[in-house]
Amino acid sequence: MSVLDRIAERQLVVVTGKGGVGKTTLAAVLGRLLADRGRRVLLLEVDPRESLHQALGTEPSGGEVVPAGPGLSIQNLQPGAVIEGLVREKVPIGYLARKITESTAFHQFVEGAPGLKETALLGHAYRVLQAGHRPRTDLVIVDAPATGHGATMLAAPGLLAQAAEGGQLGEMAAGLADFLADASRCGVVLATLAEEMPIQETLELIALLRVKLGLRPELVVANGMYPALSRGAAPAPGAHLWQARRRLNEAELSRLAAAWDGPLVELPLLPLDRGPALVQALASLLREADP
Amino acid sequence: MSGDLLQGRLIVVVGSGGVGKTTLAAALALGSAKEGRRTLVMTFDPSLRLKDALGVGEAAKDGPIRVVEAGPGFLDAALLDAKRTFDRLVRTHAPDAAAARRILSNRFYRDMAGNLAGILEYMAMERLFEMQASEGYDRIILDTPPTRQALDFLQAPDRMMNLVDSKAIRFAMDPWWEDAGRKTLALRIALKGAMELSDRVIGRRFLLDVVEFIRAFAPLFDGFRSRAEEVRRLLQAEETRFLLVAGPGPDRVPDAMFFLRKLQETGHHLGPILVNQVHPDPGAAAGREPGTVLLRFLAERDQRGLRLLRSLFPGEKKIISVPLEPVPPGDLRTLGLLFDKLSKAAPD
Repeated sequence: MSVLDRIAERQLVVVTGKGGVGKTTLAAVLGRLLADRGRRVLLLEVDPRESLHQALGTEPSGGEVVPAGPGLSIQNLQPGAVIEGLVREKVPIGYLARKITESTAFHQFVEGAPGLKETALLGHAYRVLQAGHRPRTDLVIVDAPATGHGATMLAAPGLLAQAAEGGQLGEMAAGLADFLADASRCGVVLATLAEEMPIQETLELIALLRVKLGLRPELVVANGMYPALSRGAAPAPGAHLWQARRRLNEAELSRLAAAWDGPLVELPLLPLDRGPALVQALASLLREADP
Repeated sequence: MSGDLLQGRLIVVVGSGGVGKTTLAAALALGSAKEGRRTLVMTFDPSLRLKDALGVGEAAKDGPIRVVEAGPGFLDAALLDAKRTFDRLVRTHAPDAAAARRILSNRFYRDMAGNLAGILEYMAMERLFEMQASEGYDRIILDTPPTRQALDFLQAPDRMMNLVDSKAIRFAMDPWWEDAGRKTLALRIALKGAMELSDRVIGRRFLLDVVEFIRAFAPLFDGFRSRAEEVRRLLQAEETRFLLVAGPGPDRVPDAMFFLRKLQETGHHLGPILVNQVHPDPGAAAGREPGTVLLRFLAERDQRGLRLLRSLFPGEKKIISVPLEPVPPGDLRTLGLLFDKLSKAAPD
């Protein structure tokens, strides 16, 4: 069974990594590949500055579900909106619900409660996957926020469940934590660059996921690799820069490989701007490389 | 000379993650020291390479470490760590040791304080304030935390003030379950309803933890409020410059625009804009190897990005293109060379 086969069987896939390592593009590439395999995929973007739509060539989501080709849709989701939606649902009297969501205390609580925002987002993904939900969705891919370590998001439901033990909120969070811990249903894909800081953070994140959450990433993708050096040929003038960067890529990649024995795919830096053509090209490369 | 690069007593380096802020902040700080200024660079989570280059380790989390002596000038480096700063603040400002212990051992503080929105940013501001107040430096260069918005720290003082003034806090100081006798019957019934609802939804223990934390913390609030106010004034001062580091290429221009707009809206003073990691053109003689073809595309793409940024800021001379280094600086010598290149690229 290949790595993509395994990922295609999951219900929730969280794509995470440091800012600027091509996380959003990778989420789009995975979405495209898995939708091509007949899964109905929803891509959730959490960054308020939308960019997923650019990668797939659609309109910006603005909070709505936007179709992005066969079997694939995208949605940009803000935690505040999700939590307010939940309040409106639980408090059926509109006036009262508004009173709550407009109060300072409510905003302080949303800002301050540990893991609440992240839990709300993952909770939304969980709801979308339920049988009764329309439109039907088989798999949700979350383009996780770049804040610090991606583990924060995955640890959030467990943290909240502990803090708010005994209330409905805590029960809900505990249920979600169990779902995330179920490796047959949820998976993590790490995006990185073969440069010092991104590799360092990837190594830390792999260790953190293992120790804190008992999770092992399905796949690590090293984006933006400079082209391989051609052996033997005398270096052309002007080739110094990319050759130096390639050597750096290789050194960092072997540092990663020394500590990570799981599936690892390298994707090249391509002469294409961010957009559907880039996603398509990277999707073919990832399909071919599928370990 | 370094042109506009080293203007201001406080230089705040901002930009999205992964654009090389930390390295540029270190290079600028080194340059400032060599120009004879007593300089401090404050940074978050630098790479091992940069830590090695500056020769700073864990000890720099507790206080500045001397990196270079340069005649009248010198360079110190400090690493920012939110939890340690928070702990130290509690110890310094709590009325007595028992009060400090109460806070430090509170479950909510231990598990959550480090996760509170904006706490890292706020702690950076506290450290900045301490350092600024010590007057041992002519110039402080602050590298900003790698948060999603990366400008959250601008709102950190306001957020802390809001928190201190918020209803939630006042409520915690005087919760519904105390002194029921003082309240009217109608209020008591309403409060009982609210209590049952929040018990059911949030859980009693959580609420109690938070209330206990806020009570233990209350004596510190006045100090927080006055410092938050001063930090805000410091950030908006004429002597403070915000130096934006942006990634190359048109895809990164919206990020840069976001920062520029936010800084202008909030009344902060903008210094130069550094467009970092710009790919140089390999030249016509470089042949047609795959790497060279890619490099030509990247060089053209990055020029497109620069043109776009300049067209959005017509007449702005402070947009400086910084070429991608073949090998990132790994010691003081190469950091120094990077500063020399920055100075040459900067218009006087």
